[in-house]
Amino acid sequence: MSGLPTIRAAASYTPSLRINADAFEQAWGSFDAPGIKSKAVPDADEDALTMAAEAGRHALTAASIEGEMIDWLGWATTTPPIKEEALTPRLKSMLAIDHQIPSLSVTDSTRAGTRLLLEAPADRTALVVVSDCPDGAPDDQLGHAAGAGATAFVLAPNGNAPITDASSYESPKPGVRFRQPDEKHNHGLDIGQYERRAFIDAIAGAGESITTADADAVAVQAPNGKRPYRVADSLGVDPATIKRVETVHELGDTGAASVPLGLTRALSDDCKTIIGASFGGGVGADVLRIEHTGAVPVTEAGSTAQQLSYAAYLRRREAITTPAIDTGAAHVSVPTWQRSIPQRHRLVAGVCPNCDALVFPPDGACLRCHELVSYEPVDCWTTGTIETVTTINRGGAPPEFATQQAQQGAFDVAIVALSIDGRSVSLPAQLTTTAGVGERVKPVIRHIYTQEGVPRYGVKFAPTNAER
Amino acid sequence: MPEAYLVGAGQSDFGSFPDESYRSLFRTAYEDAIDSVPNGLDPELIDEAVIGTLGVGGRQLGLSGPAVTEHLGLHGIPCTRVENACAAGGYAVRQAVMAVKSGMADVVLAGGVEIMTDVSGDSVRFWLGVSGETEWERLSGTTFAGVYAQMARAHMEQYDTTTEQLSRVAVKNHSNGADNPHAQLRFECTLEDAENAPTVAAPLNLYHCCPTSDGAACALVVSEDVVKQFTDEPIRIAGVGAASDSVGLFQRPTYTSIPASKRAGADAYAMADIDPTALDFAEVHDCFEIAELLAYEDLGFCQPGNAGAMIEHGDTARDGTLPVNTSGGLKSKGHPIGATGTGQVVEAFKQLSGTAGERQLETPTYGLTHNVGGSGGAAVVHIFERERATDGDRR
Repeated sequence: MSGLPTIRAAASYTPSLRINADAFEQAWGSFDAPGIKSKAVPDADEDALTMAAEAGRHALTAASIEGEMIDWLGWATTTPPIKEEALTPRLKSMLAIDHQIPSLSVTDSTRAGTRLLLEAPADRTALVVVSDCPDGAPDDQLGHAAGAGATAFVLAPNGNAPITDASSYESPKPGVRFRQPDEKHNHGLDIGQYERRAFIDAIAGAGESITTADADAVAVQAPNGKRPYRVADSLGVDPATIKRVETVHELGDTGAASVPLGLTRALSDDCKTIIGASFGGGVGADVLRIEHTGAVPVTEAGSTAQQLSYAAYLRRREAITTPAIDTGAAHVSVPTWQRSIPQRHRLVAGVCPNCDALVFPPDGACLRCHELVSYEPVDCWTTGTIETVTTINRGGAPPEFATQQAQQGAFDVAIVALSIDGRSVSLPAQLTTTAGVGERVKPVIRHIYTQEGVPRYGVKFAPTNAER
Repeated sequence: MPEAYLVGAGQSDFGSFPDESYRSLFRTAYEDAIDSVPNGLDPELIDEAVIGTLGVGGRQLGLSGPAVTEHLGLHGIPCTRVENACAAGGYAVRQAVMAVKSGMADVVLAGGVEIMTDVSGDSVRFWLGVSGETEWERLSGTTFAGVYAQMARAHMEQYDTTTEQLSRVAVKNHSNGADNPHAQLRFECTLEDAENAPTVAAPLNLYHCCPTSDGAACALVVSEDVVKQFTDEPIRIAGVGAASDSVGLFQRPTYTSIPASKRAGADAYAMADIDPTALDFAEVHDCFEIAELLAYEDLGFCQPGNAGAMIEHGDTARDGTLPVNTSGGLKSKGHPIGATGTGQVVEAFKQLSGTAGERQLETPTYGLTHNVGGSGGAAVVHIFERERATDGDRR
């Protein structure tokens, strides 16, 4: 098969929050997601877009390229934070990718990630990002299984892990995994044999023409911790090759990111022949084969795991919190916000041509010489140092952050100093976890708040000592 | 330049008054101010009015000045609303002084009013935050408690200031406020109470934060040409200083000082031709207790870094070398935003006219008021001088 892309570098990102199966068993008397020991939980200010930005940035770094070198962008998820509105323009901005390059997003099923990998151009430098954070009702198996994670691949002709073969399969079998408009929870009809057959038949159908038996790693779609092993016979592979790269046991059901996370793990583990086998409701499946022939830089990013209690988990899921009263909140109009996007997404400061001070945001009179000047833009996306910090306790947050605080409790707000080329500038920002004066922090993209139905994204800072 | 004098000042109670409107509270303060003028003042003589208010809750944001003066029957006089966040009242007084010194007016009513307690907690936090730097500071998730907490943390890091020292400010101000019949939190508190209160924004706890308040306060400022009509013991507005700065803390060169306070204080001292050692008392802006300590340093009561020791040694207690916030300050008396600055002037008037009751200081001559907007985007300082009969030839 020709025209398939080649992986040059990859990165994964998983939220730091975790909950163990034991916590569910204590709360419900049982845990209904077999084979899952723990799962990743997005924090209150994380979603599919913020995870995509995190994975994407790490992949670019792993490939040692800047965003401006990307010619094509793809983003796959089943949980876009907005149902209708393209989010790839924001993702491009967050990753400093040229806004004029073509992009594509696929959101219709958990096959979205592999479909994008197969759609990406083979002759250009492309970035494919897959991020997902599915959710289900607290009392059903989809809810128990729901995890979170993201992976990004830099694809380029000069990579060392070409996709050498791929095949797809589709068959009309409704009701296996679906979500109604305006719902956040996925549903299945829990028709056991029907669902299992749909899963096995679709992957077997897609894999029929692909050589799989020699694989040393097989990344299979994992709605729970047992389902992937059911296709071992159909694919003619040893279950150990599935287990080797399966992430569901620790991260839960990562939806569209399930197979891509496994592929990234296989590349990181230096597996030579890698199979990916995805499945999505509807139903459909993709099976692809990767020949890992040389060095492929891989980064597995994230912070040190923090365990959640079941109550804290429910708060993160907005299962026991109520939306804050609409007080109007601090009104920063969408056009005003849009004008500050280089600062929100990439920390673009400015150098004063009069006194050489670094100013953030680069607007208005210089804070040092007080001259009205036009600034020379400077990218300040770098680690910084906390100059001062406070913890905003429950009830102390401004109303636009009341929902976030209900979900995650107290949060830290700091003034962070960034140094670039001998110049320093300070800016206020929320921290993703608690830290003290003098500690080093790195910028990350998070959801800031939502106003007038429009989610706003920007920079928060994460302590570097919490990096895994 | 003609001199300006303070001939009367009055206030409503500060607190939570669901049965009052901003108009009714202002009327109480206005009538109290008129009643305080030693020789009486016919309202017909008022040439001008300046009203400070933020408009918390969104009530009457436009034309809120005429809305209160017309309600009082001060029909037709020009009235302007001044908005400079928590310094609105102090700036209203400054505008009154400028009107008198310019010769455009002989008698000016400077007032302030705010209603803050009849809206939801979220709504209050919204309004408390709108005076901060909105686009970056506010959207980092902080209100003023958070910003002042950042200043407190920086001060602690730089000067080893302690939470106990912050708590001692609260204890002192509550002790003073307990003797102020207009105070909102009119009770004493122990150091243990202040140390063990729930955290609001670390390192600040509930006792390190002033309350939200309803209230109004008024001051009557007159020219030297007419002052003798109203009093035989005039209080001269000897010094006025005001300054602005970047609205966001992160935009300033220091987190352990409020540069606008320093500049406003220096200008006021220069105009009054005194230095801080001449002061007999001060009313400073203690919206959070770290703010009072910053004021000690910014206004020259002590060297930078020594404010903690100053409160610990009792220097600013009522029987100390420089009593600060004898009214109870914002912490105990209350902080109805637009009325706070004029409320400070009320205490200065009472102390200098010998009508401060239980908390009266012994024959003070110089008093200072210090009013800050936001976390330091605006500051205004006034110095008042009680002119004794022996030096009355100044006029």
